Amino acid sequence: MGKIIAVHSYKGGTGKTLLSVNLAATFAKLGKKVCLFDLDFRAPSLFAILKVDHAQCWLNDYLNGACDIKKVMVDLSSSISGNGKFFAALANPGTEAIRDMSAKDRKWEMRALGRLLSLRNMLLDDQEFDYLVFDTSPGLQYSSINAIVAADFVVVATTGDRSDVDGTRRMLRELYNLFEKKTGLVINKVLDSTSKSKLDEMNARVKDVYQVPMLGLVPCFCEILRAEGNLIFTQDKPNHPFTKILEEMAKRIDANQAN
Amino acid sequence: MTREELLSKKPLRVLEKIRENLERLNEKMEVIIELQKHGQNEKPVLPDASLDVMTLLSLPDHLRKTAMTICRCGRATAEEVAEQTSRARAVESAYLNQLVIMGHLKKERKGRKAYFYADRDGQG
Repeated sequence: MGKIIAVHSYKGGTGKTLLSVNLAATFAKLGKKVCLFDLDFRAPSLFAILKVDHAQCWLNDYLNGACDIKKVMVDLSSSISGNGKFFAALANPGTEAIRDMSAKDRKWEMRALGRLLSLRNMLLDDQEFDYLVFDTSPGLQYSSINAIVAADFVVVATTGDRSDVDGTRRMLRELYNLFEKKTGLVINKVLDSTSKSKLDEMNARVKDVYQVPMLGLVPCFCEILRAEGNLIFTQDKPNHPFTKILEEMAKRIDANQAN
Repeated sequence: MTREELLSKKPLRVLEKIRENLERLNEKMEVIIELQKHGQNEKPVLPDASLDVMTLLSLPDHLRKTAMTICRCGRATAEEVAEQTSRARAVESAYLNQLVIMGHLKKERKGRKAYFYADRDGQG
């Protein structure tokens, strides 16, 4: 049976969206049926990165109970090589919609959680999706915690920034652990990653600090910054080290979820 | 219906009724025991307190596990919850009833079975 993966972080700018898009695309390249969800309703970005302007409905509409999830999902399989299937469910980037989503009450958030949980039956069971990848807002926001509760596995993105390290440790202890979630840590924008010994040393230090399994270390690649979010990196640069790291990550998650 | 049949059915019905009442009594006793065990920390709250994620986070660990299972299943009996949490049915029954008292879950009886669910479609 398929699984729900949430990509989350304590702070913004850790590379959640970059990881979500490329992880979902990598799963699709490996032959999986995947749908990527933009659950960052305060700063929607997938519509721009995936260059989609023809969604019948937004994810906001589905969570509002105004439409079926099938009307939200856009088939982007043709943009990915291989036999996999790649869909995306996008958040409405309009200012009015962002304001509306920020003003929802507890009852609405509870119903939204119910709708996220029902994706399990509708997409994983009935439509036989292998993975639903949730790109979330940073920190402890309702929409992110809903996504974490609905997920089977949480990819936690972090950087070497002091405040990020402290916040991520606290979140691991006081959020993911309380919900008994399986987690995997990704350290993004790693500097001094040229030598293997430095990477090994960092790997050991990270394991000691966070006490959770490591999914991968992603060096700071100037090529990614230069791309300015204009491409699905793992698709357009199949031989780039970033693509290889993402492939390893996807395989590790796949093996972990099979257990 | 013969006289013998009539006589044999009536005691059965009475026994069935006694068993139902005993089960309900048992559930109530389990709730009282659990409330005492946890120092009565989980006092009844609002009559219709949502079971949203922030509420889930604020629950004590033993109740959060039960509440999370109901969130995932939508609607379940104590026995079904116990299967998922690997805890005893009686324990889950007590926790579920406690969550009902706290206003986080609703309970509905169908025949001899009691179903628990989070009322997501209530007012609000």
